Amino acid sequence: MECDLLIADLLKFIAADEPSDAAFDTLAQHVFAYQFANNQPFAKFSKARGKTPRTVKTWVDIPAVPINAFKTLDLTCCLPSDSVAVFMTSGTTLGGLRGKNHHPTLSVYNASMRRNFAERVMLGQDKIDMGILFPTPQMMPNSSLAHYLNLAVQTFATPESSHLIGEDSINIDRLIAQLTRAETTGQPYALLGASFSLVHALDELQRRGKTFCLPAGSWILDTGGFKGQSRELELDEFYDALSHTLGVPRAQCINMYGMTELSTQFYDRGNDVCPSVKSGPHWIRTRVVNPLTGVAVAKGETGVLAHTDLANFNSVMTLLTEDSGIATDAGFVLLGRAAGAQAQGCSMAVDEFLKAAAIS
Amino acid sequence: MIQMTQRAGYLPGLDPDSVQWELKSYGPADATLSVLLPVLQRSQIATMAQHVRRQSAIHLKTMPVSQIVDAIDRAIARLLDRNDPYRRKMDALLPIITGYDPEMVQLGLTGYLKTFRKPQLQRFLAEDFANPAILDSFQPLTKGGFGQAFGPDVLAHIWAGNVPGLPMWSLVAGLLVKAGNIGKVPSAEPLFAGWFAQVLGEVEPALAECLAIVWWRGGDIAPETALLQQADLVLGYGNNESLSAIKSRIPCTKRFLSYGHKVSFAMVSATSLDADKASATARLTAYDVARYDQQGCYSPHMVFVEHGGSVTPQRFAQFVAHELAAFDQKFPRRSLNIAEASGLATWRHTEEMTAGGQVFGEASGAWSVSYQSEDQSFLASSLNRTIRVVSVQALADVTAIVAPFKALLQTAGIAAPPTELFSLAAALGAVGVTRICALGDMTTPEAGWHHDGRFNLLDLVAITEIDARAESAADRLAPYVD
Repeated sequence: MECDLLIADLLKFIAADEPSDAAFDTLAQHVFAYQFANNQPFAKFSKARGKTPRTVKTWVDIPAVPINAFKTLDLTCCLPSDSVAVFMTSGTTLGGLRGKNHHPTLSVYNASMRRNFAERVMLGQDKIDMGILFPTPQMMPNSSLAHYLNLAVQTFATPESSHLIGEDSINIDRLIAQLTRAETTGQPYALLGASFSLVHALDELQRRGKTFCLPAGSWILDTGGFKGQSRELELDEFYDALSHTLGVPRAQCINMYGMTELSTQFYDRGNDVCPSVKSGPHWIRTRVVNPLTGVAVAKGETGVLAHTDLANFNSVMTLLTEDSGIATDAGFVLLGRAAGAQAQGCSMAVDEFLKAAAIS
Repeated sequence: MIQMTQRAGYLPGLDPDSVQWELKSYGPADATLSVLLPVLQRSQIATMAQHVRRQSAIHLKTMPVSQIVDAIDRAIARLLDRNDPYRRKMDALLPIITGYDPEMVQLGLTGYLKTFRKPQLQRFLAEDFANPAILDSFQPLTKGGFGQAFGPDVLAHIWAGNVPGLPMWSLVAGLLVKAGNIGKVPSAEPLFAGWFAQVLGEVEPALAECLAIVWWRGGDIAPETALLQQADLVLGYGNNESLSAIKSRIPCTKRFLSYGHKVSFAMVSATSLDADKASATARLTAYDVARYDQQGCYSPHMVFVEHGGSVTPQRFAQFVAHELAAFDQKFPRRSLNIAEASGLATWRHTEEMTAGGQVFGEASGAWSVSYQSEDQSFLASSLNRTIRVVSVQALADVTAIVAPFKALLQTAGIAAPPTELFSLAAALGAVGVTRICALGDMTTPEAGWHHDGRFNLLDLVAITEIDARAESAADRLAPYVD
C-alpha cells in the first residue's frame, strides 16, 4: 500500500513539467523514509552515519551507498522473491561477484526511460527504424541494458526494426541490409548498442570495405565503453570512425551513461567534442564529491560522481559510483573509472591483487 | 639553494646536445619541481650500450671486486653526509617527487644507504660467494677444478615504482659482478639512480662510463627493444602486465630475471599480547604500515592476531589505530589522487559491510584499521595506511589462509617467541613466504637479503669452470714435464 502510493507519486513526478527544487526534496525524503523503513542493510548503513528520517533535512544529506555494496548485500525493500526483474552487473571485479538491483515493478523504470529517451534521444521524432547491436532480454534476462534497448524498440521503433545480435555474433548481413535500405529510401535510421559491439561492427564493415551515408535525421547511440571486449579506442577515434563509416555527424552520435544499480540514464548532446557533457532528467541529480568525505568538491575540480535517482525507489536512491568526473553548468563530464588505483611502489593495489590472485 | 629544475638520467658516451628533453612537473602547485627527462631514441640507446660495454671491459672487468666495494663505499659515504650537495638534493626533492613525508624520506634514506657500506657489501658478496675472489680470477672449486664468475657485459635494469632508492639494489649488484649497467628509470621517481651514478663517477672516475641511466616515454617500444637487444641479461621490475610485455620482447637466448609485485603480512602471537608488550607490538606494526605508505612489496596488507593473549585481537586493532594516529602526527601520509581516494573509500565500505567487520579511523582521515572477527580471508589492503586486522585461533592457522597466494607472497613480520618463530617459518616457507622478520623491520631488508628468495649476485653471473682433469692434462704438456 505504502509502496503503491510512493510509485504513484514517483510516476506523477516523472511526468511533471519542471517541478520545483522543493518538490524534488520532499519526494527524496519520502523515498528515503521508505527505504530506511524497508531496506534493512541500508537502514544499518544510514544509522552508522547518523542519518535517519529525522536527521535528513535535504536530499544532499542522504548517505551515498558505494556500488560495491550491491554485490554483497541484498539492497531491496521488497522481498527478493517478489522481484519481477533482477538486473545484474557483469561481475568483472570483486572476485566475480555481481551487483544486483531488484525491481518489484518495472513501471517506474520504464516511465523514467521512456520520458528521458523521448526528450533526449528521439528529440520529438515519434518512431524510427532501429537496429540493436545487443542481445534481446530473452537472451540476457538479467541485463538492464537488454531491457532498456528492448524498451526503446517497443516504444520508439518502426516494425522494420530488429535486434542484430545472434546467438554469438553480430548479424552483419542484416546490418548491411538495414543500412543499405536506409540509404536507398532516405528514411532516417538509428543504430543503438554497446560501444564494443559498435567497434566490432565497424571493424567488420571496414574489412568488407563498406561505408554508408545515412540520411539526415539518423543517429547512433552507444553505451558502456569497451570493457576489454573490443579494441580500446580513444573517444575521438571511435566517433570519427562511426561518423566516417556510417555518414552520421559526430553531433548525432549520442553516448548514454547508465548503471545497473540505477533506474535512470544520462545522455550527452552528441560527441562533436569529447569528452562530452552528460546530464539527466529532473528526477535524478548528480554531485561530484570527495569519495572519502562525501562532500562536494569545488566546482571545476575532479571528484567521484554520486547520483540521487528518485526512480531507484526499491534499492537505494543515492549511489557513490567509482566514476570520476567534473561538474559543469550543464551537467558533468565523465572522466572514466576512478577506481583501479595502482600501487606507487612494488606492492599491489586491490585490483591488481585480485587479477594476479586469479591466475596464480 | 637547490634548483627547482633538475635533469634526470646519466648518459655517458652521448652528446648532450643530441638529446631531446621532456619537461615533467611534480609536487603541489606551490612547490613544483620540474624534471627534464631524456627522451632517448633507439639509435642513442644502442650507441650508449656499446659505449658502456667497451668502457666496462676496460675499467670494470679489470678492477678487483674489493676496489669496486671501496668505490661504492666512498659514494655511499658521500650520500650519508647530510651536507653533501647530492644528499641535500635527495632530501629536498625526493619528497616532492614521491609525495612521501620529508622526514620519513630522510630517515629512510639514511637507514637504507647504510646497508650499502663496505662491511654490508662484503656480507652481500659473502652471502652468494664463499670466496668473492671468484669474481676476479679462477679459484679452486670444492668439487675439484677451478671456477671464475663472469657477470654480463651489459646488464639492463627496468625499474618501476616510486619508493626512494629502490634502483640501488640491482645497480649495486650489477657493479659487484662487474657488469656494464644501463638502467631505465620510471617516471614515478626518475632522479635517484642518476644522482647515484654521478656521485660514483666523481669518487671513482674509472667507473664513470660503466653505467648509464636512461628514460623513454611509456609505451615507446623502439628504445626498449634496442636496450633488450643490446643487453646480455635483463632485470625487470613491475606488475605482471608490464613484465610479460618486456618478456615478450626479449630474445629467447637471453635471460630475464623478473621481480613482480608482491604482498606481505604480519603475525602477532598471543604471547606478545600481554599488557606489557602489546602496545610496543602495536607501535612496530603501525611503523611497518606507515613507512612509505605501504607502497613496498615488504609492506603488510594484513595482521593476523592470535586469540588468548590478555589483550584481545580487537583491542590490539585499536592499539594499532592509536599508533597510526600518532605516526600521522609525526609523518603525515602523502595526499591521494582521486583513484586512490575512491579505492580507499571502496575498501573501507567493503570492510565495514563484511559481517563481523569494524573500521577504526575517520573516513576522511589518513589511516584506517579494519578489524574482522569472522572473515579471515587474505585480501589486499587499499595501501596508503589501511590495514586489515583479523583474529585467528592459532597462528599456525595462517599458513592455510595465505597458501593459495603462493606466487604473490614475500615478507611475514612475526612477533612470537623463538620456538614458535622457527616452526611458523618452516610452515610459511613451504607456502611461498621468502622473508621472515621482526615487526618494525618489515620495510628495511638487511644487507645481503635474498630478494624474493633469489640470489642477488649469483643469479647474475655465469661460472666458467676448468674441469679438474684439465689441470692434470695440462701438466702433461708443461715444458718442465719429466
